[in-house]
Amino acid sequence: MYRKLAGFTLLAVVITGCGVPGGPPDTQGTEGTGFRPVDANAALLWDRQTLETAELIGQIADEFNSSRNGMPVKVEHLGGYTDINRKVSVSIQARTLPAMAVGYESMTSEYARARAVVPLDPYIEDPEIGMSEEDLADFFPGMLQSNIYPQLDGGMYSFPFTKSVLMMYFNKRVLRAAGIESPPKTWDEFLAQCRQIKERTGVSAYAVDIDCSTLDGMIYSMGGELVRDTESLFDQPPTIRLFELLATLAKEDLAYRIQPGTYDDREEFARDRAAFFFRSSSHRPYTAALFGANTDDWGMAMIPQANPEAPVTVLYGGNICVFRTTQEHERTAWEFIKHFTSPEISVRWALGSGYLPIRKSAASHPDMQAFFEQWEFNRAAFDCLPYARPEPNLVGWQEVRTLVERAAAEVMNGLKEPAQAAEALKRQADAAIAAAR
Amino acid sequence: MNEWFGLLGIVIASASILALRQPLVAILDSVLERLDSRFERQVWCRQSDTAMAVTLLFPGLGILAVFGFAPLIYALYISLFDTRAGAFAGPGNYVRAWHDPEFWGGIRVTIYYAIGTIPATLLLSFGVAWLLFRIGRGRGFFRTVYFLPYVTSAVAAATVWRVLLRPHSGYVNALMEALGLPTQLWLIEQRGVLHLLTNGWIGPEVGPSLALCCIIAFDIWHASGFGVVIFLAGLTAIPRELEEAAIVDGARPWQVMTRVVLPLLSPTVFFLAIVSAIKAFQAFNSFYALTNTARSTDTQNLVIYIYSQLYESQNYGYGATVAVCLCVAIVGLTLVQWRVLGRWVHYE
Repeated sequence: MYRKLAGFTLLAVVITGCGVPGGPPDTQGTEGTGFRPVDANAALLWDRQTLETAELIGQIADEFNSSRNGMPVKVEHLGGYTDINRKVSVSIQARTLPAMAVGYESMTSEYARARAVVPLDPYIEDPEIGMSEEDLADFFPGMLQSNIYPQLDGGMYSFPFTKSVLMMYFNKRVLRAAGIESPPKTWDEFLAQCRQIKERTGVSAYAVDIDCSTLDGMIYSMGGELVRDTESLFDQPPTIRLFELLATLAKEDLAYRIQPGTYDDREEFARDRAAFFFRSSSHRPYTAALFGANTDDWGMAMIPQANPEAPVTVLYGGNICVFRTTQEHERTAWEFIKHFTSPEISVRWALGSGYLPIRKSAASHPDMQAFFEQWEFNRAAFDCLPYARPEPNLVGWQEVRTLVERAAAEVMNGLKEPAQAAEALKRQADAAIAAAR
Repeated sequence: MNEWFGLLGIVIASASILALRQPLVAILDSVLERLDSRFERQVWCRQSDTAMAVTLLFPGLGILAVFGFAPLIYALYISLFDTRAGAFAGPGNYVRAWHDPEFWGGIRVTIYYAIGTIPATLLLSFGVAWLLFRIGRGRGFFRTVYFLPYVTSAVAAATVWRVLLRPHSGYVNALMEALGLPTQLWLIEQRGVLHLLTNGWIGPEVGPSLALCCIIAFDIWHASGFGVVIFLAGLTAIPRELEEAAIVDGARPWQVMTRVVLPLLSPTVFFLAIVSAIKAFQAFNSFYALTNTARSTDTQNLVIYIYSQLYESQNYGYGATVAVCLCVAIVGLTLVQWRVLGRWVHYE
């Protein structure tokens, strides 16, 4: 009797606790139902900035709050883009979200699929708090375009926020020691210079951070495309050429990988243990800090190209999306986005952070002009903007990013031949995109 | 304002508890008395013992049910759904796992890791514990020293190891260079350790990668302290007279060890073997912290794979499927260990 009673009690507890009424996790979302805000009294922004840039964005938020009545904006720093992505994904399941978060296009497409983000078009078109035609025309078209999601009814589900471009950083001290006067313009020149540097100085020239955005930019610069509609193009010659280059660099000890998630490439570069590294233009202030007053010892340039007549680099950096919470939170979030991307703040943010201004008019701003004149390479990233192309914003691309990085690492480790790796990558990427659809 | 309401609530609750304490105690007493009298009326004493045991176990079982069994059942439930499509999938996710090379890769990595860590950790822990047991003086000090890695946060310790094992300019590589040895990529080396040791004679995909071996080494170092303390406790519990009697009877040190100490220590070994096996199959922190999540399949064990399915691919149904498979594997392994090692255990 007691055994039966105990058994029934245990079963009852298990059934009560197992949460069956909740059903399976809702990655599809439910039309019309909002999410609870993490902070009911403030529009929370989950951001990735650290140190000085975190302080600056905090200042801008404070100024925004004191300039108006109503719900304040609070900035919370949660680690890198991937960390924020993980936290948002879990929060979607918990149906509790901040007012806004930064992220890549691939992340926003995942949130939009779960119907957790609101389209910004109604806010942009709002006569009271929206943006005028002239305002919109002032943004670099590529930046706006990458936030329109054709797979998701063509709405604008995010807005450009902290944008940058992929750049090549070169160490003039190492180049001079190897007898090289100017950085490479083509990939053939790049390989030749790496060999020359190794031969004359013994330094492995390129410190490689295996990052999908960097690899995507390299594929672009090799003359390639990443996707056609919803099919990946990694089996095409540009990707194979890139993998062959990486394999050669690794095999001849011309390049070495750094630990993922670190900035060892920048550190090695500043210690003359690398001649090149490829990173976002937002690394300029950090690199400058490492070189101090020796501004003549390093520089930044457009990444090498297959065809320097038609250069291409990748546009990256974060966008911002507004989550489906309460009307007040959504509206406050949009107003903050509008404030942050205004011409004045855009210039201030660019000067203080190393990110690029997202408005064309910034180039003629006196502070920006003065900045361009301070150092010959201060303008380099801005000049690359017309040639910068965004990465795909397909649903499922977030998973593809991991596959791309994995494939490049396998090639550099000698586990796979370039053509074999490219073919496998295409197959896996297509499967990931199809599964996400 | 809310804080004041909270404080007021606490004060009212405390006052209520104080006021109701005596009646509550009286009610509880009467309930216990009734239970006692009912138990006394039972014909079979064993049955009343069971009832008492269930009653006493109930709070613990309740917590276990809500935080242990319920998530497990829920995982089992959602593993039957394609959560991305929001549709019932039946056994679809299990069929997918069966054909998924990454799932099998995760199992392979998990097994390499378990084989690499469990015997080495047990041997090292026993060796250190035996030495500490013998030295007598300063045992407490050394026990603390060896236990320190275990109480250090795995993430903090892994961060230090990451710095030591930096591929290009880490301290370990600097030491290797100074000794005239070839430097290694350590935590980002995907090639098999057998490939590296045989200078390419064995294929790079055979055996655990060097990166995985680094994780294994880290966990042996990190977990040994726990084993040392448990073994020391086990050794201390062995009556010295038995050892002395064996020596008087002419047993050599090795015979004392194998015929007296080890059989009496077998419950400790049994306990540590089971706990280590379960921990090995659930390992996450060291993998995550040392490799910055598994970007490469050579260091992606099943738990990391579950994590990537849940948080990177937002594939909750499939992630739950892999979790259920892992749970079944752990339960199965524990039962096998129980049966096989249980026969060898000597409880005297």
